[in-house]
Amino acid sequence: MMPATLLGMLAAAGMPADGLTVNGLLVGAMLFALGLVGILTRRNLIVMFLCAELMLQGVSVSLVAWSRHHGDWGGQMLVIFVLTVAACEAAIALVLVLGAFARTGRLDSQAWQSLREDNLPRAVDHALPPIDAAAASWPKLTPAGVLPETDEDELLEREHV
Amino acid sequence: MTLPEILTPGRLLAGAVTAAAISLWLLLPRGRESGVARWLGILLGIAALAGLACAGRRLGGLGEEAVFLTVSLVAVVSGAATVLTRSPVYSAIWFAMCLLGVAGVLLVLGAQFLGVATIVVYAGAILVMFLFVLMLAQPAGLAPYDRVSNEPFLSAVTAAVLLGLLTLSIGRLSAEPAAPLAAEPAVTVAADPLAENHVARLGAELFGRHLVSVEAAGVLLLVALIGSIAVVSRSESAGLEDAR
Repeated sequence: MMPATLLGMLAAAGMPADGLTVNGLLVGAMLFALGLVGILTRRNLIVMFLCAELMLQGVSVSLVAWSRHHGDWGGQMLVIFVLTVAACEAAIALVLVLGAFARTGRLDSQAWQSLREDNLPRAVDHALPPIDAAAASWPKLTPAGVLPETDEDELLEREHV
Repeated sequence: MTLPEILTPGRLLAGAVTAAAISLWLLLPRGRESGVARWLGILLGIAALAGLACAGRRLGGLGEEAVFLTVSLVAVVSGAATVLTRSPVYSAIWFAMCLLGVAGVLLVLGAQFLGVATIVVYAGAILVMFLFVLMLAQPAGLAPYDRVSNEPFLSAVTAAVLLGLLTLSIGRLSAEPAAPLAAEPAVTVAADPLAENHVARLGAELFGRHLVSVEAAGVLLLVALIGSIAVVSRSESAGLEDAR
């Protein structure tokens, strides 16, 4: 009969682990997997970097959980350096993204598909159905009183609000 | 067979990661929006979260467990929303929410300083930088490349397989007892999140055993700063030459 929980598996393996440690590792794994999906599927360069940061968060949570498990500061130290490297990475990556945007005018990773290997087929976008942009129906008030005089200059100013 | 016999942890885990994969696949942007697929995806996602929570540990007492469950739910759900939202601005804001959840998880796990540092450094600095760039570069409305995704099915399957393997390996850790890594660690971490002098001891460890790494990190930050300025100024001058 298998033990019913991961905690039971750990106890059966002779490793008395804290419940919180196991749950922390699980949360870290979930965040990492979500970030992986994002970086593989999304095409917006900035969203891809956000997903990379999400993967880093997952790793940080796992490191702190291991630090707690072993009663050692090493994991927490590593997380501090992960934060440092993430800050550097974000600065340089955003500079590169801005450069890429200045060249192509798009934040699309497929705008750079000419850099692909020779044996890979060219990715082609299919036509997308239009977004259902039905005009919002605003409530209508019955006009009452005298129509106020409108200043033409004021209308021009309102344009930009 | 009764229900507990059918629901072995392996099968529960397999079902949960499969539901997670199908849910992600249904919810990823694919050009045409369908309300049925969306609701099905959300329902399957909730089922997957419940299954994973059960696979992790049956809900025990209140207090620490409940707090941990809440903050990790915030972290994972808003992490999923970061990946799945069409608009990049909403994506960044959901990521901020996810950071709050992660900071809570770190607090519960006994790393107070890191929890606060995550909020200050990530949400305060890095995320604001992301939003600045988004405001600079994002066209009005939803761009076509935000409404489709590359290989949603394969990626969701990949992530589900990875998550299942990671969870299994968390469960089947080697029989090594939980011993401290170093032979004689200078300072050990107290498991209690509210341990005394947490930050002071962390600082002593950081500037004691890891002093060289701190110096290296400082040099890295300086190099990244100079490097990003150099890349920006070069691309700007190149742009000016193109304009001529």
